[in-house]
Amino acid sequence: MLTSAELVWLMAAVAKGDQAAFERLYAATRAKLYGVALRILRRSDLADEVIQEAYLKIWNNAGSFDPKLATPITWMVAIARNRALDLIRKKGEASIEDEPAAMEAAADEPDPLARREMNEELKRLLACLGQLEEDRRRMVLLAYYSGQSREQLAAQFDAPANTIKTWLRRSLMQVRECLGS
Amino acid sequence: MSMDEDKDGLAAEYVLGTLDAEERAQADALILVDAAFAASVARWERRLGELNVLVAPVEPGAPLWDRIKAGLAGTPQSGEMHLPEVPAPPASAVRADAPGAEIIQMRQRMQRWRGFSTISGLMAACLVGIVLVREYKPDVLPPELRPQRPVQVVERIVEKPVEVVREVVREVPAPRPAQLVAVFQKDEQSPEFILTVDVEKRTLTVRTVAAQRQPDRDFQIWIQPRPDVPPESLGLVSTGEFTVRTTLAAYEPTVISGATYGISLEPVGGSPTGRPTAPAIHAKLVQATP
Repeated sequence: MLTSAELVWLMAAVAKGDQAAFERLYAATRAKLYGVALRILRRSDLADEVIQEAYLKIWNNAGSFDPKLATPITWMVAIARNRALDLIRKKGEASIEDEPAAMEAAADEPDPLARREMNEELKRLLACLGQLEEDRRRMVLLAYYSGQSREQLAAQFDAPANTIKTWLRRSLMQVRECLGS
Repeated sequence: MSMDEDKDGLAAEYVLGTLDAEERAQADALILVDAAFAASVARWERRLGELNVLVAPVEPGAPLWDRIKAGLAGTPQSGEMHLPEVPAPPASAVRADAPGAEIIQMRQRMQRWRGFSTISGLMAACLVGIVLVREYKPDVLPPELRPQRPVQVVERIVEKPVEVVREVVREVPAPRPAQLVAVFQKDEQSPEFILTVDVEKRTLTVRTVAAQRQPDRDFQIWIQPRPDVPPESLGLVSTGEFTVRTTLAAYEPTVISGATYGISLEPVGGSPTGRPTAPAIHAKLVQATP
């Protein structure tokens, strides 16, 4: 993976319509974006669709990327995640049933190898998530990584969907207070 | 919990991903019209985005790049897709004496924009955004795109019997911004209706956007105060662009802001059974600050 500064530079070139820079940006980021989308969608055909749309949006909107507000990878992943979430919410729960929940077990720590890449911000976030009750923390991580809906969480944690919503919001507010920003 | 906390909670859940499809569409619309909400979302993306470091990378198949590259051809970069940069249409295309012309014009523009982006969700977000901006922040749009509401109201008055005229005049939405909004979407292409509610006055306004009226059918508005009670009628959607109803007067403000709303296609004059006889599209109200 390129450094954040290198990605910012590539993004600026992409904003000017530089296709070669776009290809390098794609090469440097595709596996991360694809990994994020695939965890949520669980199907490579859907992930293909979402990633194709996401990169076209990145190409079109590179000019609106502001390095003061986000890192390039955060900005790009958010675009891919939003497309994936839109698709999974519209498809409803059925598509999830198609695939065994193979990746679910690993939801808390999806990629142990990536621990090497852990930066200070992530360590602080994980420390704050660690202050939540065990099931609340699992709920937040399952929602974020696997795109689980309130209804799916309700089934898994045996609570009404409205209660799940309350727990999630309270947990997130607690995280916000803990991070202090 | 304060309204600000509610809104930050909505932003947090939007980024977390647990909103349902309708709530996501409404949040997307809010991002476009409400800068404070958009900033909230950006902060949550920064906070939670760090979690992606731990996601294992997965290589997509090689053909994906070819498909993306093919998509670039014919998509000259449009720079920012933000609303203030929307170029004004030629003045001749939008005339104050042609109600609905702006919407039609907008649809034509949307068709053209489709060439700039194959991302249908983005298109839908833009359309919702424009419609909402026209409702709540008319001054950020070029003059040609601003709502011509007074003109339309006058035209409707001419067609109505005297009794109705009085009601229409009395209930025309005040120029101040509405507080709660729900977007009714059948699919992601465009909103069918936009419902705004004035909780204080207990009035509702339905704006018909893309919904196509059928000669032998009426659209009927429903409220479901709680999930465990059947929907109740709030009246029909009128043939004009705006429908104003005072039928919410029978409900408490807390019920009004928490209820689910539906619109269904019914026989002329409304459902004969007092309950929806056709599938309804549903939406929940969200806060829209000026």
